[in-house]
Amino acid sequence: MLRYLAYRVALTAPLLLGTALLIFLAGHYAPGDPVQVLLADHYTPEGAAHLRHELGLDRPLAAQFAGYIGRAARFDFGASYVNPARPVAEIVRQTLPVSLRLAALAVAAAALAGTALGVCAAVFERSAADRLIQLGVIAGLSVPSFVVAAVLVLLFALRWRLFPVAGWGHPSDYVLPVAVLAAAPLAYVTRISRASVRRALAEDYVRTARSKGLRRSAILARHVLRNAALPIVTTIGMAFGYAITGAFVVEVIFNIPGMARVAVDAILQRDYSVIQTAVLVYTAIFTFVNLAVDVSYAALNPRIRY
Amino acid sequence: MNRRGEGMSVYRVTALVVAAALLGALAGGWAPAPATGQAAAVFRTPLGGEPPTADPYFATDFSSGDLTLLMYNTLVGLDSAGRLVPEAAKSWDVSPDGLVYTFHLRDNVYFHSGRKVTAADWKWSFDRMGDPAIKTSVGDVVAGPIAGYDAQQKAGGGIAGVKAVDPSTLQIVLNPNSRGGFLNRLAYYAAVVLDRDVVERGGRTWFAARDAGSGPFTMREWVHNDHVTLAAEPRYFAGAPKIARVELPIVTEAQTRLAEYQAGQLDLVAVPLSDFARIKADPVMGKELIVFPRAQIIWLGPNPRVYEPFKDARVRRAFALAIDKAKIARTVFFGFYQPAASIVPPGIPGFYAGYKGLPYDPAQAKKLLEEAGVAGKLPPLTMAMNPIAQDYEMAAEAAAAMLKDNLGVDVRLQRQEFAAFQQGMNRRTVFPAFMTGWAADYLDYSDYLDLLLYSKSPLDRVSYANPEFDKLVDQANAAATESARTALYHKAEALAVEDGAMIPIVFTQFALLKKPYVHGLRTTAALSGFLKFNTVSIQK
Repeated sequence: MLRYLAYRVALTAPLLLGTALLIFLAGHYAPGDPVQVLLADHYTPEGAAHLRHELGLDRPLAAQFAGYIGRAARFDFGASYVNPARPVAEIVRQTLPVSLRLAALAVAAAALAGTALGVCAAVFERSAADRLIQLGVIAGLSVPSFVVAAVLVLLFALRWRLFPVAGWGHPSDYVLPVAVLAAAPLAYVTRISRASVRRALAEDYVRTARSKGLRRSAILARHVLRNAALPIVTTIGMAFGYAITGAFVVEVIFNIPGMARVAVDAILQRDYSVIQTAVLVYTAIFTFVNLAVDVSYAALNPRIRY
Repeated sequence: MNRRGEGMSVYRVTALVVAAALLGALAGGWAPAPATGQAAAVFRTPLGGEPPTADPYFATDFSSGDLTLLMYNTLVGLDSAGRLVPEAAKSWDVSPDGLVYTFHLRDNVYFHSGRKVTAADWKWSFDRMGDPAIKTSVGDVVAGPIAGYDAQQKAGGGIAGVKAVDPSTLQIVLNPNSRGGFLNRLAYYAAVVLDRDVVERGGRTWFAARDAGSGPFTMREWVHNDHVTLAAEPRYFAGAPKIARVELPIVTEAQTRLAEYQAGQLDLVAVPLSDFARIKADPVMGKELIVFPRAQIIWLGPNPRVYEPFKDARVRRAFALAIDKAKIARTVFFGFYQPAASIVPPGIPGFYAGYKGLPYDPAQAKKLLEEAGVAGKLPPLTMAMNPIAQDYEMAAEAAAAMLKDNLGVDVRLQRQEFAAFQQGMNRRTVFPAFMTGWAADYLDYSDYLDLLLYSKSPLDRVSYANPEFDKLVDQANAAATESARTALYHKAEALAVEDGAMIPIVFTQFALLKKPYVHGLRTTAALSGFLKFNTVSIQK
């Protein structure tokens, strides 16, 4: 197990390096650079040359990349090109916790509600409740998050004034963005847990347990859920990935000062150092979440060993 | 592992997953609630993005400009009608030859540090504006016409033409070739005085935590990507502001800003054009809508360096004749914008009011193409659109359809990101044609004609090089009187329009939403549509 863990962790280094290189090249070969954004309509060729030199953008690409990686290895990500007064590490420190909190709340909501709904739908299969849940699942999976956001804002913020339209800070600010971000993973977790619990319910050991006269709740808790848990945990892990990427839409719509919104701005402004660092951080998070899911398999299912 | 233990592990893992998620969510606790703005003395209006800087000499984008405007003072200001009014200077004299300006400073202007602003501070500020070592964005605009600016660019040091005669008298000597419109340049919002102590002690990022201004508001807090809070400065020379604080939340999406306004979280927002008709018809918001002219033109740039037929002025003229501007203004922009006959918008002193420009005349346009020998033979034309404002794209779509119908030219629209668009325009060899806009930095003819079409200007993105036009502009800038200057500029403007150097489409307007309890807001044709908030009051 430890050897496997060490192997997986070691694998992240080349992965991060490769992603950094890819994103670096994509950024620099895309038309436009931060100088155009900074000077905008005050552009002069001399002003542009001066700024390019000041930002180090006139150095050879290889030197720029090597410099970035060398510093990044020591967790120094340089300064933002567009906001030269702000170190990128500081931007990450301020915005990443916001994005993680948002994602974690969405995953927690999706996991709890999704599992409960899925179990309910499986136990009461083909009932009206089951059908209603199934309908909700289809809606949750097929309606894009920006539509869900618009509808929720219109009803809960503008019509009924229950929650703020946008912003971040007060607990009531969290409700709508978390709901939007949780909608799709919630549907997914519901669907998977329903299928998984249904399959487990049909197993021989459940019939045996039932014939022993065990209470239904005990059968569910002790036999069914335990055996159905593996796919559900995988889905929850994937939901975290979804929540992190879904934040790119949700943070912009709800004006949340998280890393996804900063990354979107950085892409539009060609703020290379911020884009590269954001990609590195996201890659690291994804790798870690996948690893955590794999490790949890071993804990859940004694048949799986690494 | 026995069965019992195995069972435990299932719950343990599930509980761990959920607990970890919840812990992560709650780690750090809830952030303190932001000010709700319920107190009557707080005025809330958004910034469109995280300001890249709060150094006024680099603050040329809207977010930074909106922010610095409130904290700093210029020598000369503008009133709502666009007239020049005294600001940090209480009065000024101009020598008969129009070359020497003597400013008499007010004796009650104080930096936020408490220190009195003197002529020496202004001298230091002008020197910094032009400093070639830091290359500010305002040097050319404000200090460009001052004697000694060119020498400073080569050798560094100060600008010889700016002199502190005594603590309350500042003298500025101009370069004889560029005497016109100098006061309009000084009224540019970035031509401000800086507190030298703050700038020099604060290092490269002196503006991050505090300001160096003497304006009506001072920086209280800047939470990056979230909000900026300004506090009223009780010692402001024109009297303490009527509001205690200005809250500037950073909201990047126009639709979110509008929704926040509707929900009562903001007091003043700009209206996205796509929502204009709906808001105008809304029984509540329709009454909160304020509409007034903006010193901005939307124009089409034909680029002869990329699209061969544009080398012939007759072809460019034909394109101008084939676009029905009145129809675009009426149908695409719901009559909210005005068709543009000339280049310089109303609101700029000396606006060419009686000028008719080129009419809508498709028959004449076709005739011109025939004369040029390109009728029916025009290659497909790609028209790039500036993505920064929705109205540029709306104008481009309409113009493209008209060119297709009237001239049979196949126009393809090209949409791209701002950074890419800006680079394409600046390189001049990328776009065959582009639809963009130009809003005034300072309210003067030179901010349009000299910058956009003068052959030596770095912003002559259509590569217009007409010696006659250049000569008229030079003469205008050297003209001894304002009326002679305006007459020469009008000649140059008509020449450029009839040459099809650029094709004016519409003059725009501002549409703002303001809550009924907000009083005393002063609007302007420039900037984001409003002047400093020191006269604003909240009466709920």
